[in-house]
Amino acid sequence: MRTYLYDGTFESFLTALSLALERDEDCAIAREAGAEAGLFSEFVNAGNDPARAAAMRDFFEELGSAESWHHARCAFLSEASGAEDALLAYARLIKEKGRGADDMLADDRVKRVHGLSASVGGEAHMFKGFVRFKELADKTLYARIEPDHNILPLLTGHFKGRLGEFNWVIHDARRGRAALHFKGRLVYAPLTPAGAPEFDGKEDRVQALWRHFFKTAAIKERTNPKLQRQNVPLKYRKNLTEFGG
Amino acid sequence: MLDTMDLQRKLEILADSAKYDASCASSGSNRAGRGTGAAHQSGVCHSWTADGRCVSLLKILMTNECVYDCAYCVNRRSNDTPKAILTPDEIAGLAFEFYKRNYIEGLFLSSGIVVSPDRTMELMLEAVRKLRENYHFNGYVHMKVIPGADQRLIDQAGLWADRVSVNIELPSDKSLRLLAPGKTKDTVLRPMNRLAQQIAAHKDERRTIKSSPAYAPAGQSTQLIIGATPETDREIIKLSEALYGKMALRRVYYSAFIPVMKDNRLPALREPPLLREHRLYQADWLLRFYGFTADELLDAAHPQLDLSFDPKTVWALNNLDKFPLEVNKASYEQLLRVPGMGVTSAKRIVRARRAGALKLDDLKKLGVVMKRAVYFVTAGGRYGGIKKETEAAIKIKLLEHKNPNGQLDLFGQGELVREGLEATVTGQL
Ligand code: SF4
Repeated sequence: MRTYLYDGTFESFLTALSLALERDEDCAIAREAGAEAGLFSEFVNAGNDPARAAAMRDFFEELGSAESWHHARCAFLSEASGAEDALLAYARLIKEKGRGADDMLADDRVKRVHGLSASVGGEAHMFKGFVRFKELADKTLYARIEPDHNILPLLTGHFKGRLGEFNWVIHDARRGRAALHFKGRLVYAPLTPAGAPEFDGKEDRVQALWRHFFKTAAIKERTNPKLQRQNVPLKYRKNLTEFGG
Repeated sequence: MLDTMDLQRKLEILADSAKYDASCASSGSNRAGRGTGAAHQSGVCHSWTADGRCVSLLKILMTNECVYDCAYCVNRRSNDTPKAILTPDEIAGLAFEFYKRNYIEGLFLSSGIVVSPDRTMELMLEAVRKLRENYHFNGYVHMKVIPGADQRLIDQAGLWADRVSVNIELPSDKSLRLLAPGKTKDTVLRPMNRLAQQIAAHKDERRTIKSSPAYAPAGQSTQLIIGATPETDREIIKLSEALYGKMALRRVYYSAFIPVMKDNRLPALREPPLLREHRLYQADWLLRFYGFTADELLDAAHPQLDLSFDPKTVWALNNLDKFPLEVNKASYEQLLRVPGMGVTSAKRIVRARRAGALKLDDLKKLGVVMKRAVYFVTAGGRYGGIKKETEAAIKIKLLEHKNPNGQLDLFGQGELVREGLEATVTGQL
């Protein structure tokens, strides 16, 4: 069986997907780093072809719909194992059924991609609330996040609208990447901070006020740590100011 | 302004008194433009406190001093607790510093009554005006309107705030007179009525003149205290129905009575009636999104919501002649009435059956809770429930599912946790 390898970027993945769709026989898509050579598998490097990637976007949007493209993109951002092959199966179905594919909600191929997309969308929505900025000495707002999925690209629009003229950085420490908003421009860049940042003089006091408020806001008679854990999973707490992050 | 220990102490006192107000919604408004902030259309929770409630707003009182003496209220005049007051500058500054760090979606400002209702409203308006004008804040603001304040001041509230509210607190005039001297049904309903008119008038105007100012774009809400007075669930749900219908309220919040104050006019409850509050939220949800009327849910013979079953299941059990429904044919509105089906799964069914007839096995994949729905649906003519579906038989089956270990859960605590995922606050079924 042939396996197309991509370099980890979405563009390269779409290139691989486009190549795989052109073949009738079974094939697979895998990330270069993670792929294991099997006895009967043949590896082909997909490379990174912007024209093919753009054509794949058209494929999803035109043969399917704006919704199909949205699900494909979000499912890719899930970085879940097996997401590549799930997307290949989904794309094949769209090729066969067109627009109607997304109606087949009980079909496992559709359910899988829609499901991945929903968990990415869900986490991105949660992080619109969970991002915590700290004010640095130069007045830049800095936030550190460690989400399960690669949701950074889904967060930036929200914070751009929200923080107006501020300079800000959202740093995905898990992936060593950051979105930087500086003087009204937004860029993505790799980021591995050298040392601890220097905070604004007022920062500690504001944090203390917030922790205080947060503690006071709980109603003793209704204490329900289980419900709290369902809503704020422990894994997210280390970057949340009110939980000591 | 943020540098005194004093502020910390004040915040503690004023957040402590504000926390019993259940309203946490921060959605339904879309202010954008120059400046900082945009209220999110669908609402964002920023954190959840140890009681599992969503925190999305800096919810504080301007002051916990009050010239009135309502029996159920921690702020009442005769309550000898530490009092504090925040200045408009402190409120605006605090809200902005919190918002900027993404701790919150915005501000929820309420207050006890200092000097007079008018003076109190003036100070609150000043705080919100500063936040909007000096900080160019476009985020969400929910402002309480003080009953008894001048109409001119009440009218201004909607110009600065996204949502306005007057708390009814006690669901009947009799209870109000008994427990809240200085308040009557009329003093509470008059400002609500006025706000409803203003909201409707501005909406009309904006239809023709786009540039005219938005007035409380996230609408009006209110809160009822549950369990402090003898009103039945039927009276409460009927009241809510009227508020949604006649006053176009966006939300009615229900708050289980917590006896923070000792008073011989109040019942001595050992625990706040949380399960009852939860059932009321569910019933409220059925009114707003599922097309039910209050009379369908409760009648004179059954004025209280059943604590063992959710109100939709109770309705379905009382209307077994309408079931089972064929999922491939039933309308969306009919599907919504099936226990175990919600807005999402009903929509999915309607969509998925376009692509082909649905089988029983498919329903679970579409998010239907089959252990409840199974007694009420067929798919392609096939039924998966018990053979002869009597009300008693279904009840027993449903209860078995609730208590798989056969343990009795008298206080419904287990259910609160299980159903409570998102439901405790939102009341979603
Ligand atoms: S008027 Fe409001 S703040 Fe004052 S005692 Fe009554 S409920 Fe409490």
